Amino acid sequence: MLRSLPVLRQIAQRTISTASRRHFENKVPEKQKLFQEDNGIPVHLKGGVGDALLYRATMILTVGGTAYAIYQLAMASFPKKQA
Amino acid sequence: MTHQTHAYHMVNPSPWPLTGALSALLMTSGLTMWFHFNSNILLTLGLMTNSLTMYQWWRDVVRESTFQGHHTIIVQTGLRYGMILFIMSEVFFFAGFFWAFYHSSLAPTPSLGGYWPPAGINPLNPMEVPLLNTLVLLASGVSITWTHHSLMEGNRKHSLQALLITIFLGIYFTLLQASEYLEAPFTISDSIYGSTFFVATGFHGLHVMIGTTFLTICLLRQLKFHFTSKHHFGFEAAAWYWHFVDVVWLFLYISIYWWGS
Repeated sequence: MLRSLPVLRQIAQRTISTASRRHFENKVPEKQKLFQEDNGIPVHLKGGVGDALLYRATMILTVGGTAYAIYQLAMASFPKKQA
Repeated sequence: MTHQTHAYHMVNPSPWPLTGALSALLMTSGLTMWFHFNSNILLTLGLMTNSLTMYQWWRDVVRESTFQGHHTIIVQTGLRYGMILFIMSEVFFFAGFFWAFYHSSLAPTPSLGGYWPPAGINPLNPMEVPLLNTLVLLASGVSITWTHHSLMEGNRKHSLQALLITIFLGIYFTLLQASEYLEAPFTISDSIYGSTFFVATGFHGLHVMIGTTFLTICLLRQLKFHFTSKHHFGFEAAAWYWHFVDVVWLFLYISIYWWGS
């Protein structure tokens, strides 16, 4: 029987002691639950709607920028003759 | 529902390598457009998409490790090798600039006057701000070691304090160096002296800024309880990088600032 390896568990559960008296609470367990949910969503989109928006923005800028770069290359390759 | 039966990390398909490569294209073609055609749209786009890629890629690594638990010992070992190899490549990068410096300074040409520093160059006094900079970086090496020990002992308050001190020292170095750059009596175009000085110290300064950023990310992660006393490789990688930056400075100080003055 194949033993399931500790893929989904942290190696050492010992988090640093005592929460700070300021506003920081340990939200890691919540995050662990969110990102370990078995919903087939890849990690770069698994955080929620914000992920998808940021992904789309990045893609539009990179692909759009690439098209623009190729356009500029084409323009630079065929200099306009001076009248 | 399938589970892996090995301890390695099979990453989800990711768009970031593609966006990273395209951002490199945009940055390089952007530089060309800026240099030759007085346009900085492409360069700006390149820098933005590069930053977006880095943010999302490393955000995903944090998710995969801290939140999903994929960083087993074997995976961490691979990451350690990777970081060491990367730092070694940076060592060779700097080796080139040190080679250039020694090539020109060990046998100064007649056009320089046959001596080093060349005719007309007033080098910076190594016992003034450069010495302070050396002490600042050495002190930051001490504080980062304190940070690591506090982390390993589970002392949250001390690890945060020591890391904050390290970051402040890094910023202090950068500010001091910036003021030196503004006040220096020579520029990058002042013969091979200026070239070797500003390219070598300039790339070093850039690495200080990168290292400071990496440490700041570690500070944020430590505030959010990501690190445990046994598992905090992100911090260790930042610490190795920081020590590397410190060592490069020591070589710069001895060679260019002190011997070269």
